Amino acid sequence: MEYRQLRTYAGRGTNEGRFAKSLRGLAIDGSGRILCAGDSKVVVFDGEGAVVRSWATHASPWSVAVGGDGSVWVGEAGRVEVFSPEGKLLRFWKSPQRFGRVTALGTVGEEFVVADAADRCLRRFAADGTFLNDIGKDTRMKGFLIPNGTLDFSVDGEGILHITNPGKHRVERYTLDDRLLGHIGRFSGPDPSGFSGCCNPTNVTVVGDRIYVTEKAEPRAKVYDLEGKMLAIISDDAFEPGCKNMDLVVDSAGRVHVADTVRLEVLVFARDESDNE
Amino acid sequence: MSEKKSRREALGLAARGVALVGLGGAAIHLFRRPAGESAWQLDPNKCVNSQLGVVGVEACDVCAVECVLPLSAVRAINESAICGRCYICPAYFDVKSAVDEEGLPSEKLCPRDAIERYPIGWVDPDDPANNYYEYVIDEERCNGCGLCVMACKEPAGLSSIQLEVRHDLCVDCNRCTISGVCPEDALDRILPEDFPLSVHGTRRES
Repeated sequence: MEYRQLRTYAGRGTNEGRFAKSLRGLAIDGSGRILCAGDSKVVVFDGEGAVVRSWATHASPWSVAVGGDGSVWVGEAGRVEVFSPEGKLLRFWKSPQRFGRVTALGTVGEEFVVADAADRCLRRFAADGTFLNDIGKDTRMKGFLIPNGTLDFSVDGEGILHITNPGKHRVERYTLDDRLLGHIGRFSGPDPSGFSGCCNPTNVTVVGDRIYVTEKAEPRAKVYDLEGKMLAIISDDAFEPGCKNMDLVVDSAGRVHVADTVRLEVLVFARDESDNE
Repeated sequence: MSEKKSRREALGLAARGVALVGLGGAAIHLFRRPAGESAWQLDPNKCVNSQLGVVGVEACDVCAVECVLPLSAVRAINESAICGRCYICPAYFDVKSAVDEEGLPSEKLCPRDAIERYPIGWVDPDDPANNYYEYVIDEERCNGCGLCVMACKEPAGLSSIQLEVRHDLCVDCNRCTISGVCPEDALDRILPEDFPLSVHGTRRES
């Protein structure tokens, strides 16, 4: 399985569709539009990379997600905001304790889950914001090992959480009620089939039976099956070497959108059409 | 006669006074030097090994090879408060070396084996990754080659390791030989209150 780079969009700058300081979160909505969160705003791009709209957030966002009803969820330090698809603020919650630094979030049915990197665990909430339980906190290390500073997760079609644990070089599977089901990944040194460096993978998204991840130092994007077998290196030379914590999403056509956190742009990769695997 | 003697005595007293003042001045100079006078200091924001944003380049070993001392006065220090205490530390291990039967890199990074690693608390034999590890630099072995500094630098690590001029070892040359060839002009003779910030923005003790 091979991928090639198709194009880029966003980038460093001060225009509406560009970011001046940070590009941290990506999400995709039901219409295939890509939402990029950085600086102090959310920018919505269409499938071709043109700006659809943008709006300001309360503070610098660390993450963005799209709810089942199309609402846009933004994670910040100490705060979660929910917007309409058009960017109107619908509601928000504040809690320095439970939303220390929300580097990933997502909805599961009527509930929502946030990754609090400040406390190295996930937190599960009811739709009205009532706290239900922590996930991954009741362990020997009292949370996930994230020297990279961010914690990321993705929810699969069964409602299982796939959570990065980069200090252990794993992606771990948890149930919503905090049961560890298993993991993929191991430290593999120079062998790209596993994970390298001190702490990888940093970001994850699960689509169907594929687990897509990014790594830092050196930055690359890869795809695995659910058993942990590496299927492809999507790219290991397209990103700025200083990139870390590169968020990614996959659209309905299987194109992989990855945030370059130094150039503040999104790189789009597609399966090579000549590849029949 | 008595007048001559008193003049001799007066001259002797004056000479002794000058000598005492001179000795006292030297003592005060020696006493004050560590705290009040300038000293050679390495700016971590200039040093190519620790300067953030400079990645994908070889570590610079000028501090190790250019110091007039047999073992350089520049040594690496690991700021424990910043260290991630990783299971796989890229400054301790050569993370590009083959993986051994325990799942660890088979080689260490430091050519002088100057970094020691200690598990914090008991190690789960079934999952040694499920632990933190303390990394300590043996200053008797470190020669300031900068390899670990470069390996620990963001984004690979947390930049907790930096090079520092050890003022208890530095002989304070008038013209530091390292500063003469440092490619980043990272060594300056400065006052203690002007010691540079670390790459993390905290003012470093020296």
